[in-house]
Amino acid sequence: MKSPLLGAFDGARPGEHMLGPIQKLDVPMHTFDLNEEVDFCIVGVGSGGGVLLQRLARAGFHVVGIEAGPFWDTERDWVSDEAGSSKLYWNELRITGGEDPITLGANNSGRGVGGGSVHWAGFTPRFHPSDFRVYSEDGVGVDWPITYDDLKPYYELLEKEIPVSGPAYYPWGDPHGYSYAPHPLGGVGDILVEGCTKLGIRVVPGGPVAINEGSHADRPHCIYRGFCIQGCKVGAKQSTLVSHVPDAVRHGAEIRADSMVFRINMGKDGRVTGVSYFDSNGNTREQKAKVVIVAGYAIETPRLLLNSACPGFEDGLANSSGTVGKYLMVQIGNVVLGRFPGLVRMYKAPPAHALTEEFYETNPKNDFVRGFAIQTVGPLPIAFAKQMMVAKGAWGWGMRRVMMDYNHWTALGVLGEILPWEDNRVELADETDHHGIRVAKVTFSLHENDKKIAKAGVEKTSEILYAAGAEEVVEEPRYAHLVGGARMGSDPRTSVTDKWGRTHDIPNLFICDGSLLPTQGSANPGLTIQALAARAADFLISNGPDLMKRERRMVAVTDPPVRHDLSPRGTSGRGVPRIKARRRG
Amino acid sequence: MKIKNARKTVIREDAVTFQVDEGRLPVNPQTGKPIRPMAQPGYYPGYSTLSQQAFWDEATRKVVLARVEQVPPIRFFSSDEAELMQAVCDRVLPQDDRDEAHKIPVVNYIDDRLYNQRIDGYRFEDMPPDHEAHRLGLQAIETIAREMYGKSFTQLDQTEQDTILKSLHDGKPTAAHDIWQKMSIHRFWMLLLQDVVDAYYAHPYAWDEIGFGGPAYPRGYMRLEGGKPEPWEVDERRYEWEAPAGSLSDRYEPIGGPRHHKQQTPGQEGTH
Repeated sequence: MKSPLLGAFDGARPGEHMLGPIQKLDVPMHTFDLNEEVDFCIVGVGSGGGVLLQRLARAGFHVVGIEAGPFWDTERDWVSDEAGSSKLYWNELRITGGEDPITLGANNSGRGVGGGSVHWAGFTPRFHPSDFRVYSEDGVGVDWPITYDDLKPYYELLEKEIPVSGPAYYPWGDPHGYSYAPHPLGGVGDILVEGCTKLGIRVVPGGPVAINEGSHADRPHCIYRGFCIQGCKVGAKQSTLVSHVPDAVRHGAEIRADSMVFRINMGKDGRVTGVSYFDSNGNTREQKAKVVIVAGYAIETPRLLLNSACPGFEDGLANSSGTVGKYLMVQIGNVVLGRFPGLVRMYKAPPAHALTEEFYETNPKNDFVRGFAIQTVGPLPIAFAKQMMVAKGAWGWGMRRVMMDYNHWTALGVLGEILPWEDNRVELADETDHHGIRVAKVTFSLHENDKKIAKAGVEKTSEILYAAGAEEVVEEPRYAHLVGGARMGSDPRTSVTDKWGRTHDIPNLFICDGSLLPTQGSANPGLTIQALAARAADFLISNGPDLMKRERRMVAVTDPPVRHDLSPRGTSGRGVPRIKARRRG
Repeated sequence: MKIKNARKTVIREDAVTFQVDEGRLPVNPQTGKPIRPMAQPGYYPGYSTLSQQAFWDEATRKVVLARVEQVPPIRFFSSDEAELMQAVCDRVLPQDDRDEAHKIPVVNYIDDRLYNQRIDGYRFEDMPPDHEAHRLGLQAIETIAREMYGKSFTQLDQTEQDTILKSLHDGKPTAAHDIWQKMSIHRFWMLLLQDVVDAYYAHPYAWDEIGFGGPAYPRGYMRLEGGKPEPWEVDERRYEWEAPAGSLSDRYEPIGGPRHHKQQTPGQEGTH
């Protein structure tokens, strides 16, 4: 066995908390007295919670993040191995049902500091302007309480903070360019570009994706090993763990990891007083806070609100509309696989590195409204075997045979919009977890428009694969990305929060995660979740004193300015997009 | 570093089972002769992911080497169940083309998951918990074997065994209907398949077989396009093989039979 020139790679050094091979976390971090009533308590330090924690800490507030999973040391805890990475997912019991049930866990649910951003593939397209006006434009779903233009400055901020690598010109939605260079293509991207080019479909290579193409400060560049969704040990792919949490800790935030919040506590005055949680030793603790922000994502956020039912709030907190848990969405995520005569080796390069949004918008020629995107994916062997189980019905010698051809296959993902339906929902099951807390029951069924989008997406993707030279094309139906379940809206009768994530019912209870999304477009939601968190932070910071006064329900600042001074160290003002978006109207 | 025989801890005392049953071997279509069991089937002769372990980070090395060297003992299944599960897994994902030293102990890994009650984060509402589902599934398979052939599944020939498993794949089992009242047949079939591929394709021997690069931190890859091998990878060298004549699994038919279309597969890892 040959050894590397620099010796074997020994990994973690004692006494250091590493986030990637270079970035060190400042330890020990600040700890608040357990009896202190902090300004803000955030439940869940994932995509939304991580960004929010960082901004509130930087603005000088006393803020505690309580996270159910571990505070990862990436050098110690993460592995470059598919089966060994299952701990990154929310693996505790949930019940799933309905006509077309959603699989959870590894498919869409993170656990631990960084949350879902630890295991996302990192595609970071913006939502299109039309996504915010789906009801006005297409008569389906619901309009957002904000427009694209409200969110746009936060997209621009987060694209720098993450930072997002992508093409100099991105032609869809609100056309714009990226400051940081796109990635080289792997075998899968090469095939997507080849197929699209043959068919005259516009396609962008190399992003937008939350992966460093070059090194920035203490974040190294990508090494193209393809284990993005197993947690990026390299530190090149963004998770809030590596992009925002270090800055939060540096500015005095405390993160209590391995601590599961099971109840939000209500006071007598119609305001929340804090949360109760099981700490890392299983002891019951209470954290008092002036403002509580729930950022547990689309299943755990509704579960916590429902499990916090108490006198006066018998149906759960913030649920006077009866919509907590409802309008849950996933995206159509069918994987279309093509076998090629030559070798592809799709395990190399990030799974996410090229896409087309040419079929994103409503097209009157279709028999459905809204649309889909087509993206590269690069399943590793176990995921690929499960795809072949469904796509080809492979088992036995047939499974062994198709797996021996692993390197000949290419996988492309359809990402299609599923509309918000009231019957797709999160409720409480009768069963309980090991703490005795009722678990979530998820019910999901596809509706006609959703099925038509899936069909059209699979057909178009198959066409692209054949055009690129595939000799056989098969597909695996599946879903991607949870969102919704505690949606924002202008009407308190049909939504859980206002446009800032403030619950309509309880003045000092907020929600800040993917569950806020009223609709979802055909874009991966990660960037939008983080951008919404940055926007919510500006509201919370501008109105902090008002929010914390018990006697006040109203806030002074209804249109807070965009704070450009709260970005993590070394990200703001760096990188200049050659092409700036100029949106008409 | 010597990689020990991972198979050793599997309880198979019956010496007869170690003999190669030629009828179960894949066949060379040119000669019509069985292909002898190999240390490494597949089209990448000489390729070894484990040979690159000095280039892996320590945490990954520990996890992968433990998978090879420290095969978990059988603790969940009873010895009868383990024997039956072994016979089932030998058909669900046959390894007759591997020599004894290089068979992958999938039953031990499945047992370990069930013993430690590791789940994937959800349970379908029409399914019992995973560990119960596996027990019920084994009972059902044994019941079908006795109804159809009057013998234990472990005593059947490969065609009979495949016939039973194919009936599960097709969603048309001939017996054990009381058990299929308690759980969805096609969800059980997918649970079983998924657990088997989870175990098999997590093993470095399987990576060598399919030409997968294996762990790649901190070194990474440099040849991204055109399917080109890295300097330590090898080019594909294909050979023709046919599944044994008595087997029924080297064909591709949808789970649940034609026109069966369910929108979801359990345990699918995230992709995008």
